Amino acid sequence: MFMYLPIALTSVNYLVVTGLGLFVGLLSGLFGVGGGFLMTPLLMMIGIPPTIAAATDANQIVAASASGTLAHWRLGNVDVKMGLYLLVGGFLGGAGGVQLIKILRATGGADFLIKITYVVMLGLVGSFMFIESLNALRKSKANAGKESAAPAKKSGGLLSKLPMQTEFVKSGVTHSALVPLALGTFVGVLAAIMGVGGGFLMVPVMIYMLRMPMHVVVGTSLFQIMFTCTEVTFLQSYSNHTVDFLLALMLLVGSVFGAQIGTILGRKLKGDQLKILLSVLVLAVTVKIVLELVMEPSLLLAYAGGH
Amino acid sequence: MVPDKNIRRNGWLALVAAALFVLTALSAEPARAITCKVTPDNIGIDLMYHGATLTVTGESAAGDDLIVKVSSTKYSDVHLKYKGKASGIFWMKLGNMEYKNVPNVYMLYSTAPLNNMLDAGERAVNQIGFDAIQANSEMERSDGAEVGAEWFDEFLKFKQKEKLYSITESTISRKPGANGNTFSLEVAWPFQAPPENYTVQVLAVRDGKVVDQASAPITVAQAGMVKKLSGLAFNNSAVYGIMAIIIAMVAGFAVGAVFKGGGSH
Repeated sequence: MFMYLPIALTSVNYLVVTGLGLFVGLLSGLFGVGGGFLMTPLLMMIGIPPTIAAATDANQIVAASASGTLAHWRLGNVDVKMGLYLLVGGFLGGAGGVQLIKILRATGGADFLIKITYVVMLGLVGSFMFIESLNALRKSKANAGKESAAPAKKSGGLLSKLPMQTEFVKSGVTHSALVPLALGTFVGVLAAIMGVGGGFLMVPVMIYMLRMPMHVVVGTSLFQIMFTCTEVTFLQSYSNHTVDFLLALMLLVGSVFGAQIGTILGRKLKGDQLKILLSVLVLAVTVKIVLELVMEPSLLLAYAGGH
Repeated sequence: MVPDKNIRRNGWLALVAAALFVLTALSAEPARAITCKVTPDNIGIDLMYHGATLTVTGESAAGDDLIVKVSSTKYSDVHLKYKGKASGIFWMKLGNMEYKNVPNVYMLYSTAPLNNMLDAGERAVNQIGFDAIQANSEMERSDGAEVGAEWFDEFLKFKQKEKLYSITESTISRKPGANGNTFSLEVAWPFQAPPENYTVQVLAVRDGKVVDQASAPITVAQAGMVKKLSGLAFNNSAVYGIMAIIIAMVAGFAVGAVFKGGGSH
């Protein structure tokens, strides 16, 4: 039942770890998020040091997102063109964000800013998605079937006047290529500051700013996350030696199946229902973080790393 | 003449007393030297490792109380983060806290309550009890602020939660033998203890003083697959990273392919 982890230097019950992988993988397949904002604290709860929890999570997300991407690919839910633009932006933003953090840390008080950014972003994204999808669900009851017949959506106002206008066929939208590049960069910067993959930010950006349909958002997000986490896994293994491969293996055994189950479940739900569920999840995590911040912890000492 | 007689008589008495003392000393039981043995003394951390059970056995003089100390052979510095209220609102990690010259692992067992056995001075000299560790260590905070004694209590809480520090009194079982006592103790070795060298020390206590001691080493080291993976991660980190990525991708795509039916239109 127990297995010793050579990098985390601790022993874990592999049934518990695989169960965690299954649960977070299911959310990944369902919502197109990597699940890092859930998995890292869960791993810390079972005794994994924070830096190893975060890096190893990136490794297992490679597997979950590969599994989820393949499932969504078959369903025609992956907009490769859009994914690549967002990916390039994300890489640029990630590199910029890491530099920004270095400057912030040198000036002091960075950790406080990071924590506040994290809570505010999660709270805003969760609340906005919840209210918006609730309204959409009410409207869709009144105008059932109208949306499917709609023509390809274009960016409005100033955005439509930008150069390099491109049609993204899979998503049924037309934008300047600069829009996904800029949005990818923005999410990349925030993700690097907060030390998360950014799936929970990228998904709403694709829904509300790029106006992509929910199911294509999930597939495209997973496609993008697969590459981001591949890069993170390599860098963390190479520079910091914080990826525990055995732990990742136990997690991914659960998460790859979870991602498939999540995709199947997702097909049975409407886009707005998925959005509401994701927003509830994001809000629940926000509440948990706020409680942790305001309540005195039982231990006033901790290992280095993590939030 | 009287004084001469007295001197001679006293001389005889002294001689008889000395002879009696030598005879008594020769006929008495020799004081039992304390012994200590640990089984196993070599702990290999392999894939299925989840701690171990150590058995400490030995012999001691009949009337002595015993203390068994299991601790890191070398004391070192422990680096942790301390938490506090940032801007008076949120609890978060505020900086680094260094505990200098402390053992990574410290487990103490005894035949009676420690405070009844030894006074504070004797405990400090022999590093018995948490007070002795505290007196021997230093604390330093990254912001340079003075560190109060309450932060050592926090350190103890942290180590006890990790199961690396413990004091368990009146747990050593003893049996009378032909020439003294035999003792035995089972130690639940925590899997959280890192690979390093440890020492088991048995102290014999008589009349509030440590009168004898014996020790035995324990080596905890990685073995088998754990050692191989750890070696690869630290010595060939690029290969390790690429392997981790390839296996994750292959596993993800393979399971994706198996679930073909579920994913298609």
